[in-house]
Amino acid sequence: MIRSRPTLRRLVVTTTATGLLALAGCSAPTVPEEPAGRRTFVVATAGESDTLNPVLNYGVDGASLIFDGLVARDAGNRLVPGLAAELPTVSADGRTVTATLRDGVLFHDGGALTATDVAFTYQAVLDPKVDSTLRSDLDMVESVTAPDPATVVFRLRYPYAPFLQRLTLGVVPAKLLDGQDINKAEFNRKPIGTGPYRVESWTPGDRLVLTANERYFGGRPANDRVVVAFVEDDNVRAQRMRAGEFDAAELPPKLATGFAPDDTYRVEQVATADYRGVMLPMGNPVLADVAIRRALNLAVDRAAMVAGILGGTGDPAFGPVPPTSEFAEPSIVGKPTADVTAAAALLDAAGWTPGPDGVRAKNGRPARFTLMYPASDTLRKDLALAVTADAKKVGIEVKPEGLTWDAIDPRMKSDALLMGYGTPYDPDFVSYKLFHSRFAGQGYFNPGSYRSQVVDQALQAGRDQADPARRKAAYATFQKQLAADVPWLFLTYLRHSYVLKSSVQGVSPRVEAHEHGVANSLWWNIDTWTRS
Amino acid sequence: MADLAARRPLLRPLRLRPRRAGAVTAGLVLVVAVAGTLLAPILWPLDQSAVALDQTRLAPSWGHLGGTDDLGRDVAHRAVYGLRVSLLVGAVAALVATVIGGLIGGIAGTLGGRVDRVLMRIVDTIAALPHLLLGIFIVAMLRPSLGAVIASVGLTHWLSTARIVRSELLSLRTRTFVDAAISGGAGRRRVLVRHLLPHVLPRLALATTLMIPHAVWHETALSFLGLGLPPHLASLGNMISDGEGSLLTGAWWASLVPGAVIVVVTLAIAVLAARWRDRLDPRVRAELHL
Amino acid sequence: MTTRTAPARRRTGRLAGAAAVVRRRLLVAVPVLVATSVGMFALGAASPVDPAKQYAGAAAFTTSEENLAQIRANWGVDDPLPVQYLRWVGNLLRGDLGWSTSRHEPVTSVLAARAGWTLLLIGVTLAVVLLASLLLGALAAYRRGGLFDRALRAAAYAVESMPVFWIGLAAIAVFALALGWFPAGGLTDVTATGTSWPDVAHHLILPVAVLAVSQAPWFLLFVRDAVAESLRDDHVLAARARGLPGRTVLFGHALRTALLPFLTLVGTHLPELVGGAVLVETVFSLPGLGAVTVEAALGSDFPLLAAITLVTTAVVLAANLAADLAYAAADPRVRLDG
Repeated sequence: MIRSRPTLRRLVVTTTATGLLALAGCSAPTVPEEPAGRRTFVVATAGESDTLNPVLNYGVDGASLIFDGLVARDAGNRLVPGLAAELPTVSADGRTVTATLRDGVLFHDGGALTATDVAFTYQAVLDPKVDSTLRSDLDMVESVTAPDPATVVFRLRYPYAPFLQRLTLGVVPAKLLDGQDINKAEFNRKPIGTGPYRVESWTPGDRLVLTANERYFGGRPANDRVVVAFVEDDNVRAQRMRAGEFDAAELPPKLATGFAPDDTYRVEQVATADYRGVMLPMGNPVLADVAIRRALNLAVDRAAMVAGILGGTGDPAFGPVPPTSEFAEPSIVGKPTADVTAAAALLDAAGWTPGPDGVRAKNGRPARFTLMYPASDTLRKDLALAVTADAKKVGIEVKPEGLTWDAIDPRMKSDALLMGYGTPYDPDFVSYKLFHSRFAGQGYFNPGSYRSQVVDQALQAGRDQADPARRKAAYATFQKQLAADVPWLFLTYLRHSYVLKSSVQGVSPRVEAHEHGVANSLWWNIDTWTRS
Repeated sequence: MADLAARRPLLRPLRLRPRRAGAVTAGLVLVVAVAGTLLAPILWPLDQSAVALDQTRLAPSWGHLGGTDDLGRDVAHRAVYGLRVSLLVGAVAALVATVIGGLIGGIAGTLGGRVDRVLMRIVDTIAALPHLLLGIFIVAMLRPSLGAVIASVGLTHWLSTARIVRSELLSLRTRTFVDAAISGGAGRRRVLVRHLLPHVLPRLALATTLMIPHAVWHETALSFLGLGLPPHLASLGNMISDGEGSLLTGAWWASLVPGAVIVVVTLAIAVLAARWRDRLDPRVRAELHL
Repeated sequence: MTTRTAPARRRTGRLAGAAAVVRRRLLVAVPVLVATSVGMFALGAASPVDPAKQYAGAAAFTTSEENLAQIRANWGVDDPLPVQYLRWVGNLLRGDLGWSTSRHEPVTSVLAARAGWTLLLIGVTLAVVLLASLLLGALAAYRRGGLFDRALRAAAYAVESMPVFWIGLAAIAVFALALGWFPAGGLTDVTATGTSWPDVAHHLILPVAVLAVSQAPWFLLFVRDAVAESLRDDHVLAARARGLPGRTVLFGHALRTALLPFLTLVGTHLPELVGGAVLVETVFSLPGLGAVTVEAALGSDFPLLAAITLVTTAVVLAANLAADLAYAAADPRVRLDG
């Protein structure tokens, strides 16, 4: 112990002096330069999937590298045709969706893609025997049929405006899975798709090796191989990035910024729809008072959270629709810093008067509540503590509690919870279930039992109507009502940060969702990446 | 040792002095640690959930002896409370282990014969189970919490106590004063209470003390793996785990300080326990096997 | 005649003794394994964790209650407990260890893919620890009370009170981050297409060293005491009196005498080594059983956790038995049926 202390101190002096960890670079294994055009890209992430089968929730939102959906998304997250020759058509009543397949698409094993494969994929998701967690997202699908080998027809139970957004799901070959137990099929580890890469090998916990699909319908990838390294530990990932092992790696903001001064690297901070906030349950006697909720909304210092906890790579959040979305309502944006005086005035006016111990009380009830966070999530722990500290300044006592999800579950009706959600694709996707009173008290959907007629109507209008302008108006109403009621204390939108070698060309960041890993990360278009 | 001392008699006092000095230092460390952790809530109260986002990762200074961590919390301050939790868990878990081990060892040692053989075979077999795996299993199934950690340590650490108590009892059974008491007509219970217990209790106390460092390591290991106390509470394992992330950003003190606290305190306990054992059994003069 | 049959009879007697030991060991080990399995199952059943939500992971948040209920029904987790237990044990006996809910693959394939690396880590470490502790311990004992002895013992005590994961972090900070001599984690270079041994060896140096250092004190102190003890044995003193050189006396006589009890010690210390390996694998992100155990624990993956615990226990029991038999085979004075 006594021996190691000076050594460690020396380490820090050396590392900071030489520009954080530059020394580690001397152990960099020299990667043999391969001839131009025949190249391997190595990317690193912590987000390993449990399975590579889209039916079981792999790469549902497209960009899965191995599979294609009927539709895909471009760099602006706009829908473009995928396996479908053009965007599927929706009938006038909104209940029939027809897609025509592209000609000559082949699976990696040489089999031809037909409408049967598409129908099989969606039927598998809807099959109760299959442990697919996507089923509730495809609630509206009544049937999927393949009237001829090139046509797929979806019948919906009710019109659903953003239905085409759900068609990014990767298509699996029916003949390899038909009649099998999909939950445990060999296919889940060694999948066959139509995508730009086929799976060469997957060593769970270590790496996924992908090889270019020479017959990809969208054109052969510009590189030969992609290795996705799974490195759970952030520090190890950073160190190995520094050692030159990776071309790109996702890193926590604080670690990524350490690479910024070095010219051989480039740091990308990608905007997301991935928000964190506190769910404030109406079943809690203190939080049921809208004055408390509004005061909390004024008291939290979102700017300090972005600077102190996210290392500057985030944005203050005021609602569930990300500012990058065309549906975002600008009028709900408040002050990024805390407004303690306004919060205090609000509480005073509502009858919450400060007690002797600094905690406010109303009619003998102290302004006190429990804030739960999932114990394994460092970021949510940090945010929970920041909220606690901010609330204390206005006389509201918060008791943070780190728990496992199963311990959190039964208490969500009455205790606040630090939650995270968000997808950039359509405002209906998460918000409908999160804030519609129909889902009040149902699991993780609307655990705080928030009920507002205005919000219900707006959310329903948003999904029923196909006209973009009317949808936009509906979601504006929804966001304003939410900002007035504060059933959630929105804190920050994250930015996902990546470190890249400067030589990598063709990177095109796009707004990312809460869930990202192999699929849907910065390397969503890695098939076009080259080296300068 | 004998031959060496005989050859170089001058070495003897020299050799003893550092030993005693070590024990004195260890004693002082322990007194400070225990008193400090007991008095901390009065002298230096800590708000476990307080953060200061404008003072993150400050290097050690007079204001912050151990520096501050990623959330601007004083590392030394939290280390004191971490030690408090660790010592509490360590002591309670060691007590649980001692009660279980004392009971099993006591039954085996007093009854002897077949009961003894069966019980000791069971102890041997359980000793073959990897403690940490078993502990992880227990915590995983009970949900991580203070109680689960104590159960995990207590249920996996009673074996050595059982062995010590049993062998002590067995060896006492053959001693003359016990024979004398029995032939003098004393009942089994009287022999146990009047003659056996006074001999066994010090050993039991020693075993408990020796158990505390193990319990502390077990607790910190579980916390480090994310299976211990809720992460916002100050515990030494949680702090090292948090500090791991700070290593790359240069904040080495965040993991070094809590680790150093564990090392110093457990070492002090071990040194004192070794001295105690030497007193208890001068024949063995064991070389401090932790 | 008698002189020729005697050794033969002794050998068959020894073999019979060995069989008796195996039988006796099994007689205890099997009930203990059964009791452990019941205990673990009871704990798992009493656990409040919902396996369906664990399975769904992040998707649980956007999955409806009926959806989850269907998954539960597919798994039969709503059956009565004895039925579930018997099904589980029956499957275990047929070699089907179950389905890992956290890794979404059969438990057997998790074990198959990962146990090898853990065994390698433990095996190499054990070899290093044994060699180093025998050598250093004997040297310390030879000059008992000397500077080397005292320094070694002080270091041993100090190291013994350091948590192994903390040593690991320090090693990473110094040797991987500051000096850049070794990789900070992983098993092979990512761009490597296969598993080449030099590559693996380079990645294993730091973890093995850390695990070895953390486990060494116990062995080291034992060897030192045992050798010091045997240096005072009659035959060693006699050898010394005959004027044999110090090295021969130390390694040829004293160390040899001390070696036997050391063998059994290795067996009893294995569980500690396994625990240390779990932590070291976590710190160095090695794809062994350790990391997967922690992941399973965080995800309350009962089948995987139970299988890992049971299999490790069985392996350790077998290793202990082997150590006992080796001990008996090496030392005729030991009565196996004792």
